[in-house]
Amino acid sequence: MSALAFDRVHGERLVKLYGRTRALAGIDVAFAAGEVTVVEGPNGSGKSTLLHLLALTAKPTDGVLRFGKLDAAKDARTIRRHLGVLAHASMLYPDLSGRENVRLYAALFGVSDPTARADALFDRFGIGPFGDRPVRTYSRGQLQRVALARALVADPTLLLLDEPSTGLDVAGVERLVEVVKAERDRGAIVVLVTHDGELSGKVGDRRVALRNGKVVEA
Amino acid sequence: MKELWRGARLVAAKDLRIEARTKEITVTTAFFAVLVVVLSSLAFYLDRNTAKSIAPGVLWVAVMFAGITSVTRSWGREREEDALRGLLLSPIPRASIYFGKLFGNLVFLLAVEVVLVPIVALLFHLELEPLLPTSVLLLLGSFGFVSAGTLFGALSVQTRARDLVLSIVVFPLVTPALLGGVVATRELFAGAPISEVLGWVQILAAFDLVFLGAGYLLFDALLSD
Repeated sequence: MSALAFDRVHGERLVKLYGRTRALAGIDVAFAAGEVTVVEGPNGSGKSTLLHLLALTAKPTDGVLRFGKLDAAKDARTIRRHLGVLAHASMLYPDLSGRENVRLYAALFGVSDPTARADALFDRFGIGPFGDRPVRTYSRGQLQRVALARALVADPTLLLLDEPSTGLDVAGVERLVEVVKAERDRGAIVVLVTHDGELSGKVGDRRVALRNGKVVEA
Repeated sequence: MKELWRGARLVAAKDLRIEARTKEITVTTAFFAVLVVVLSSLAFYLDRNTAKSIAPGVLWVAVMFAGITSVTRSWGREREEDALRGLLLSPIPRASIYFGKLFGNLVFLLAVEVVLVPIVALLFHLELEPLLPTSVLLLLGSFGFVSAGTLFGALSVQTRARDLVLSIVVFPLVTPALLGGVVATRELFAGAPISEVLGWVQILAAFDLVFLGAGYLLFDALLSD
């Protein structure tokens, strides 16, 4: 396993505007290593926007976002090497097999031996029996296992989870809980956005509540 | 720079692997392009001389429509399961995604042209001699078209009116290349020596360089929120 690249992520006065809409209104947030932070709030509160900023798929209109000593505005590519994102959509190519997908992402993340890394993750998540079939043929639970392998391919320092339990059965949610706990115990920073109270109750160490783009509880 | 090409190679290899397995883009666009050529040969054919005048337009229209269909479908694959987000989350340079997709799209379009050109030559009674320089024109024109199409195709992934946006933006932009390609091909089919169309070749090459540079510089900005 690779060493953690930073032990804290914090944002100061983060503002995000989409046209005239203020998705985030100058919030201060911090996330620590070895901790699962649950970000809560109603639809339109700014949860997804915050996750986009943390994933570096959007840039703040104003404010500073730091990953340890790294600045999101200047060191985006270095930071991306240490990010893992799991969302409802699997981000997998349906016409490739699970193994091909995980190998591709391992290579994109610069893992030295993508095949060995894919094999290790397949063993961890029990993907072997179906991993060489096209992703298009997978059940939701199988898709989730391969998506987990994809998200963890580079042993991320920051793991972002965006409504990860949507559509999962009980076994799938249990698997997710185990993975989140294992990543936290490894020392990763975990940020979970969810409406699933049961999931957040099982894994959450801390809550951040957003309303209208502002932090109302932290 | 090494990272740029490594990322581009991975993205292109992924696109080629998917296409080799599904053949969805090349087969459907080839059918479409061949249909355009066959229908045009039936509708506009008068005699061998008229056919030679019509052939350049038919060939380039078929290539452009095949190109736009190919680019649209190629980006459509990135929309499924939000796969493009996966690429954007990876640490490869954003321009790698552009160059990788460009290479894949170019291969798909050239594969269609390999089928298309002999059919046009057969149906429109073309001499074989001008086909080699015409291939160079097609290569340059296709490269420019795919460079522009791949750049703005990325926009289509994030827009609801994706096909409309792509057509409205790309076709006006590639019109100069299309005109250059058609005129140069017409001259070649009419028996002009290669030296007479060198000016058009230079225009096509300049167009390619402009769009390649624009893609390299603008792709990240186009995909940013």
